[in-house]
Amino acid sequence: MTLNAAVRLTEALLALALIQQSLEHLVRFQSERALFGARIALCVLVIAGVASPWPLVGLAILSLAILQRFEGPYNGGSDRMGLLALWCLTLSRLSPTPPLKELAFGYLGAQLILSYFISGGVKIVNPDWRSGRALRDVFEFSAYPVGEDLRRWADRPRVLLAMSWAVMLFELAFPLSLLSKPTLVAGLAVAGAFHLANAGLFGLNRFFWTWLAAYPAILWLQGRLFH
Amino acid sequence: MRNPFKLLLPALIPSWNFFDVIAPSPRIEYALLRSVGDASGDWREFRPRPDSVAPLAMLARLVWNPRWNETLFLVSCAERLTDHPTPHSEDEIFKRIAADLAGEASRERGDAERPWLCFRLVFVSRERETIVREVLFQPAPRRLAEIVVA
Repeated sequence: MTLNAAVRLTEALLALALIQQSLEHLVRFQSERALFGARIALCVLVIAGVASPWPLVGLAILSLAILQRFEGPYNGGSDRMGLLALWCLTLSRLSPTPPLKELAFGYLGAQLILSYFISGGVKIVNPDWRSGRALRDVFEFSAYPVGEDLRRWADRPRVLLAMSWAVMLFELAFPLSLLSKPTLVAGLAVAGAFHLANAGLFGLNRFFWTWLAAYPAILWLQGRLFH
Repeated sequence: MRNPFKLLLPALIPSWNFFDVIAPSPRIEYALLRSVGDASGDWREFRPRPDSVAPLAMLARLVWNPRWNETLFLVSCAERLTDHPTPHSEDEIFKRIAADLAGEASRERGDAERPWLCFRLVFVSRERETIVREVLFQPAPRRLAEIVVA
């Protein structure tokens, strides 16, 4: 995948993800409609490839206004990944030379790898994660399970112990998937399934779409580093 | 008003420490009161989760999940209120409770005998093998009719 194709695919997928998020804001409060209506319009221009890179620049500026409106990200980590992708794409498009374009876009790919690797690292040093206790706590009393019936999973310590280790080992091993294109595709398929499960069980749908949107960056980076 | 570039920085240089520790988890409870000092309020959990969500509904929420995402935003507001309180987080919680009361239970909104709205943040955590609940924040009540929900 060429740099230009990967950037184009990432910006289109990100624009779709941002449209999905923005539509959710249009139905609630009038005071949010102007911000998110403008974001939808800019995303449509990005998808259509009109006046590039200015719609991306507009989205980056608008992201600052949205951050200020909510005094931070509206939905934590997923919004932060969306912001990272948006600003990397914008900087890549605005960069005057090919190496700088690669640097800005490669940073997104590198951060995507770190998002799994560091998440695995901070878990495995915690005895509660190694014993399965942390995941039991997630199901037992955290704010995330979408239904009360899911809290009963806390009564299955062996299953949660296995799930904890599966998550930690996958996250820590993820960088190894970069060794070849087939292993990376397999790694991303597992990661996508992981995000899908989180979307279903914990209602984290924004993570699913935002991480998916950034996958072309890692596919491009793998080709750039190993070919 | 906070500097937006300061808010952007953690996104550009992320920590990626998702779920590194399972911190005490906030629940928002609200009550309608007769007066500012009224202690007879009937505290109710704001947006209690349903008993279960069907797999098809989970699938649909992949593309349409505004209510739950708003609930997660309120969890962030609750955490911000205990970490570094700002009027913004308090306003957001009052506004969204008032909006729900206006939209879904108009008879509560119209309760002339209890015109004051209050909420409190109950943090749930585990101490050894016991689940404990502790109220960590409770702002001054506000007149429900004066909360702007637009």
